[in-house]
Amino acid sequence: MRDVIAAPATGLDLRQHYGHHQSPAIRAGGLIFCSGMLPVDPQTGERRHGTLTSEAQVIFGNLKLLLESAGSSLDRLVQVHALIYDSIEYDVLNRVYRQYVANGPPARTVWAAQIEAGFKVELDVIAAA
Amino acid sequence: MSPRREIIVPAVHAPDTASSFGQAVSTVVRGGDFLFVRGLTAIDPQSGERVRGTTASETRQILTHLKQLLEAAGSSLEKVVKVNVWLHSMLEAPNMNEVYARFFSDPPPARTVCGARLPDGVKVIIECTALA
Repeated sequence: MRDVIAAPATGLDLRQHYGHHQSPAIRAGGLIFCSGMLPVDPQTGERRHGTLTSEAQVIFGNLKLLLESAGSSLDRLVQVHALIYDSIEYDVLNRVYRQYVANGPPARTVWAAQIEAGFKVELDVIAAA
Repeated sequence: MSPRREIIVPAVHAPDTASSFGQAVSTVVRGGDFLFVRGLTAIDPQSGERVRGTTASETRQILTHLKQLLEAAGSSLEKVVKVNVWLHSMLEAPNMNEVYARFFSDPPPARTVCGARLPDGVKVIIECTALA
């Protein structure tokens, strides 16, 4: 059984705003698979470019909304792929990251990649439903 | 009871495409309720040969192949939960997205797309997780 998790705020519907052919998240087999989370305004969908820290803060806010609307939470993350634009910012990522996954952090892999629209960070996560 | 882990040997393509490239990779592995499909590049499923093309044509080739693999394993594109796409350039994302949208009917799976340096001149790699 595969359930679609709808966008919990209109700004988080990247399909509507940017034409990405994807659902915000899918629940299946006791897990929630989220589409790559980007720093967009949850109300308007506008891109919120900034520092890696400020972008990560927006992303975690969006992720919290999405997971909680699906009955999960940031405490239930299982695996995180953190994409950053340049590995030189690895320490900066860690500093902001640990504020959001303080207890029992999930498994994680970080790599440097080109992220859409020149964003500095993107989180690709799986959470327990 | 379903097997906890099972390697599914694709019947749809030549003897073993992965090992013919000398890679220690299975193409489809079942684990629990899920099928995990390796990162696919554009190949001819019959011969296993690389097919070079544009981002759009490689995407079409890969997703056609993926559809066959999933259906041979008793799943389908409709049962895909998550797709990861790597592109040689994020400038090509709209070209990938346009072809991609023709393969996945509503509602589409969750997806993450990023740009990376890909091996061997490949323009697109697509990996997916589906319900078995």
